[in-house]
Amino acid sequence: MERRVVVPGEVVTTERKKIGRHVFVEGGKIYADCLGLADVNGEYANVIPLQGKYMPRAGDLIVGIIVSEEYSGYVVDINSFYFSFLSKEKLRKPLKKGDIVSAKISYVDEINQAELENVRVFYGGEIVTISPVKIPRVIGKNGSMLNVLKQGTGSALMAGRNGRVWIKGGNIPLLKKALRKIEEEAHTSNLTNNIEQFLKEENAKRENSTQNVNSGGI
Amino acid sequence: MDETVYVNEKGERLDGRKVDELRPIKIVPSVLSRAEGSCYIEWGQNKAIAGVYGPREALPQHIQDPTKALVNFTYRMATFSVSDRKSPRPGRRDIEISKVCGEALANAIFLERFPNTTIDVYVQIFDSNAGTRITALTAASVALADAGIPMRDLVAGVSVGKAGGHIILDLNKEEEDAPDAVDMPIAILPRTKDIVLLQMDGLLKKEEWLKAFELAVKGCNQVYQKQVEALKAKYGMPAIEHETQKEEKAVPQKPIPQPKKPVEVKPAEGEEEKKERVEEIKREMEQQIKEISEKKKPKIEELKFNSGGDNQ
Repeated sequence: MERRVVVPGEVVTTERKKIGRHVFVEGGKIYADCLGLADVNGEYANVIPLQGKYMPRAGDLIVGIIVSEEYSGYVVDINSFYFSFLSKEKLRKPLKKGDIVSAKISYVDEINQAELENVRVFYGGEIVTISPVKIPRVIGKNGSMLNVLKQGTGSALMAGRNGRVWIKGGNIPLLKKALRKIEEEAHTSNLTNNIEQFLKEENAKRENSTQNVNSGGI
Repeated sequence: MDETVYVNEKGERLDGRKVDELRPIKIVPSVLSRAEGSCYIEWGQNKAIAGVYGPREALPQHIQDPTKALVNFTYRMATFSVSDRKSPRPGRRDIEISKVCGEALANAIFLERFPNTTIDVYVQIFDSNAGTRITALTAASVALADAGIPMRDLVAGVSVGKAGGHIILDLNKEEEDAPDAVDMPIAILPRTKDIVLLQMDGLLKKEEWLKAFELAVKGCNQVYQKQVEALKAKYGMPAIEHETQKEEKAVPQKPIPQPKKPVEVKPAEGEEEKKERVEEIKREMEQQIKEISEKKKPKIEELKFNSGGDNQ
């Protein structure tokens, strides 16, 4: 079923459903609290937001950037309200400003400050920042979209829930194009197949052009 | 001096509008790439851009509120927005409008979800012809929705007033300068009809005020429709029939023949009989749900999420 776009304060459903994310109840009806896609097919009434900032939640995998070094650890920008702190105790090698790390959020307090665990350091590569609410589409169901992107471009890829995607190797310009396409079309259905098609076409184009160059050169 | 006729025998105003007609409104969301949410609005001759930044950490720290977010609304008029050059320094008027509009928006946003933060809303007026505070507020509300900030409802506003003894909707500058002019900007949350902004300049009789208010609520609903259309058009979706529209339909004064809203249930593919049966079962279930919810109404009232508790 085509999901419909709802605006804040619009009725998501008048049926009795469990309260999911980005909805609120008033007078027995369920309303959306943000601009998004209404999802009422399951047990829960949900709204999938189309815009918004990253709100840290326990269990999220994020990509952070080291901002500065303190005596006992590092300050990490996690693209949220506050910077997080990373203790040197958990690290084997010293880091420097600008290094890229991935981490799991272990705990979020009542003012949305996040604590990190399971830190991994990434060497090389670069970061593409997209809207955090669109990261689920970059990952896909059970990572289906990630696999499509990896196969289509040959890059290494790591998507953080905070809207940062670390990419390295392979066809970087194509991967960036694909990510931009996902961000623009995040509200449409059948996206994974569309992207697969898009990557195939782009790769075919590239092969043709290289062949032409080669034949021209000879 | 000749007496200006503000509403002629045909019921037309100076610019050809009817008594209860708005100026043409154009709303375009997402116009600024660096802002989290933004909106460009043209309301008659009024032109404005609203930008939303945040929620972000409120600084300096002593302004932070650990229980909720702050709304920092900044209304500014460009020097070239009025016929005589306006001083770029924010005057008493700019500060007042910033305050009342910020408070109006604060009533719609779920502020308690973002402690210690501030939501910055900047509205710049480029061209003005009466009713800019409502223009600014309408644009800001769309920009907030565009930024993905959780809200109870959009804020829709309109100004009503009196010119030449007639109660009229959405005054322009000429009408506002009438000798007996009354200008009353109103902003409501269209779903609950909570008033979030109400100011009045001039004098009205009680009956006149009630008539003006009724006119304003109708106008607000029209503005709300424009806002919803603008937000949905961005994602290529037509605006579906809305709660406020439905309620309008229920009012006997203005019966609009409209098809019944389809219930959001996937009908079984193909066979007609199956569909009919599904419909029947659905109707029964709806009946039951209705009965249950009516029985339990007081309980639901208690449970609802601080709905408008701090309004007004």
